[in-house]
Amino acid sequence: MRNTYLQFLQLVTGIFIAVLLGIHMVIMHLDAILGFFGVDVTEATSWESMIERAGQGVWAGLYIALLAFVLYHALNGLRGIILELTPSATTERIVTWVIIAFGIIAFIGGTYVPLALLAGQELS
Amino acid sequence: MKQIQPRQNYLGPGGWVWAGKYKLERYLYLLHRITGLGILLFLLIHLVMTTIFRIQGQDVWEATIALLHNPWFKIGEYLVAAAFVYHALNGLRLILQELGFAMGRPTPPIYPYKDSLRKKRPWTIALVAVIVILALVFFYDFIAGGW
Repeated sequence: MRNTYLQFLQLVTGIFIAVLLGIHMVIMHLDAILGFFGVDVTEATSWESMIERAGQGVWAGLYIALLAFVLYHALNGLRGIILELTPSATTERIVTWVIIAFGIIAFIGGTYVPLALLAGQELS
Repeated sequence: MKQIQPRQNYLGPGGWVWAGKYKLERYLYLLHRITGLGILLFLLIHLVMTTIFRIQGQDVWEATIALLHNPWFKIGEYLVAAAFVYHALNGLRLILQELGFAMGRPTPPIYPYKDSLRKKRPWTIALVAVIVILALVFFYDFIAGGW
């Protein structure tokens, strides 16, 4: 039963990621085509552009939400692939907890930086 | 007496790379898994870059971005973009299929059997075409926009 809920969350996070990562991908990679339609997003990876986005709460919120969805979707998917090898119950538990621990660490690290930038910490 | 053997369709971990007697959808599933693992690998690199390197200020950030303009990284970046297009659109197909949306009415099992996957195969092929077109759009932008 628990795996049913985990799989359902996999579908739900998948839809959110398709939307949020779609926006991310279009802004990062389709700049020439967006420019053709009059939307100027050139050099999204320049320091100035990055810091400007990092200073806006909406972007920080979107990135943190995307991080949460992506980490769940990716790590739950990886867990599914590993558990397809039908390991013992002990191995399954170890795999699950290692993945949960990794996800929490990655989420904390990935949340701290946008929040620090949002708070306007002076960076050299 | 001759024992009736069930059809041997269990592929085991070998099925991760080879689809046996299965058809198109199984290969889409294999590609879904490969693209998923590829994007996961990219995610790890991307997280390190946007946390550890980003927090160290402008000089480190610009040095990192300069490193990522290396042609090999650019090729990898394009592969990630294409993998995302594939994984997202095929994933939406899988969601519809798993939840039973838009799968049509069930039909009585009369020979020649038409299961729902086979009935929807033209749409699946159309989806693959859309994926190829979007991947080409991204490819155009990688070439046109500051390679």
